[in-house]
Amino acid sequence: MQATVENIKEIIAKADVLGDAEDMQSNVPLSEQGIDSLDVVNVYLLIEEEFDIKIPDEDLKQVSTIDDIVVYVNNKLGS
Amino acid sequence: MLGIKEIASYLPEKKISNYDKKEKFDIDDDFIKNKIGVEYHTVKEKDEKASDLCVKAFENLQKKSKLNKEDIDCVIVVTQNPDYNIPHTSAIVHGKLELSQKCACFDISLGCSGYIYGLSNILAFMQSNGLQNGLLFTADPYSDIIDKEDKNTDLIFGDGATVTYISQNPKYTPIDFSFGTNGQAYQEILCDKYLYMNGRAVFNFTATTIPKHIQKLLTKHHLEDKDIDRYILHQGSKYIVDTIRKRLKVDEAKVPFDMLQYGNTVSSAVPMVLEKELHKEYKKMLLSAYGIGLSWGSTILEKTQIQE
Repeated sequence: MQATVENIKEIIAKADVLGDAEDMQSNVPLSEQGIDSLDVVNVYLLIEEEFDIKIPDEDLKQVSTIDDIVVYVNNKLGS
Repeated sequence: MLGIKEIASYLPEKKISNYDKKEKFDIDDDFIKNKIGVEYHTVKEKDEKASDLCVKAFENLQKKSKLNKEDIDCVIVVTQNPDYNIPHTSAIVHGKLELSQKCACFDISLGCSGYIYGLSNILAFMQSNGLQNGLLFTADPYSDIIDKEDKNTDLIFGDGATVTYISQNPKYTPIDFSFGTNGQAYQEILCDKYLYMNGRAVFNFTATTIPKHIQKLLTKHHLEDKDIDRYILHQGSKYIVDTIRKRLKVDEAKVPFDMLQYGNTVSSAVPMVLEKELHKEYKKMLLSAYGIGLSWGSTILEKTQIQE
C-alpha cells in the first residue's frame, strides 16, 4: 500500500480532528490548518497503524504537511 | 466478603485557572475545555504534605461512614510523593489519625495505576491475614514537582487525596484484576527534580495498549459492553479518555469525565470518579488506570448482593 494525499486526508478525517479534512491543503503545515498539538499526535499514531511504520520523535519535522507525510511514508515503505 | 464499603476524597480549596495561562502557553478555550479537559487544577498549601491530604480525606470519610478508628487494622498509602523518603507515609497517617498499634501499615510506590494495584493489594493482604477494616489512601501532590514553564505538565495535574474503606458487606467487590508494565519506556514519565512527561509517548501507549487490555479482561469473563454499566478510566486528560472510549466503541454516557474542575490527581483520579458512582445501582463497573512506569491495571467491580 502506498501513501497518497487522499488516503492521508482519510486518516486525518478518521482522527476526528476537523470538520472536513477534504478541504485541507496538502502543502500547508497541519498546525496551520486547525490541528493542534494533541490532534497531530493522534494523526501520526493512525498513520503508524495504517502503514505499519514508526515515526520517531526526531523525524517529526519531516512530516509537517500532508505532502511531507506522503513522501515520508512512501520512503519508509520503500526502504 | 471484603470489598469497597465507602470512598471519600479531599480536594484543596485553592485552584489555579488554566484560562490565565492562555497567552503563556499559546492555547485557546477549546483546547482547555475539550482537549486537556482541565479548566482549573487544585493546589495544596505549600507546607501541606501527602499525609495531611490523607487525613483530610479520612475526615470526609468519617462524615459519611460509620467507622470506629480503633477497628482499623490495615492502612495502605499509594504515593510517589511521600512526606519523607523515610519513614513510609502510611505510618505518619497512622500516627496523625491515632490508630491502633495493632494496625498494619505500608506504602505502595505507584503513580496513575496505583489505585488498581492498591485495591488488589489491600484485599489480598487483609484476606490472607484475617484483617477486617482497611483504609486504602491515594495522595500524590504533584504541585511540588511541576515546572511551571512546562506546558506538558503545568496545565494538567491537581493535588488531592482519597480514602477507600475496605470492610465486610461492601457495596462493590472486584471479581478480577489484570495488570501490565512496560519498563523499557520508564523514562517517558520521570521526575528527577521536576516532572517530565513525553506527551506523545504517553498518548501512543494509552491509545494502543489500554483498549486491548480492557477488551481482553472483558473477554476473559465473557462480558460484553452491554454488561458494563460504567467504565471509570484514569482521568489523564479528556483527549486520552475520549480516545480510549472511541477505540473501545463505548457510549460516551458510560464513561464519566470528571477532572474539569480539579485536574489529573494521579492515583486519586479513579477513586474520585468512583466515589460519585458508588451509590448508584449498577451491576458491574470496569476500572482502568495507566501511566507512570509505564504501568497499567484494570478491574471489574460487581455489585455485592448482601447489603447492611
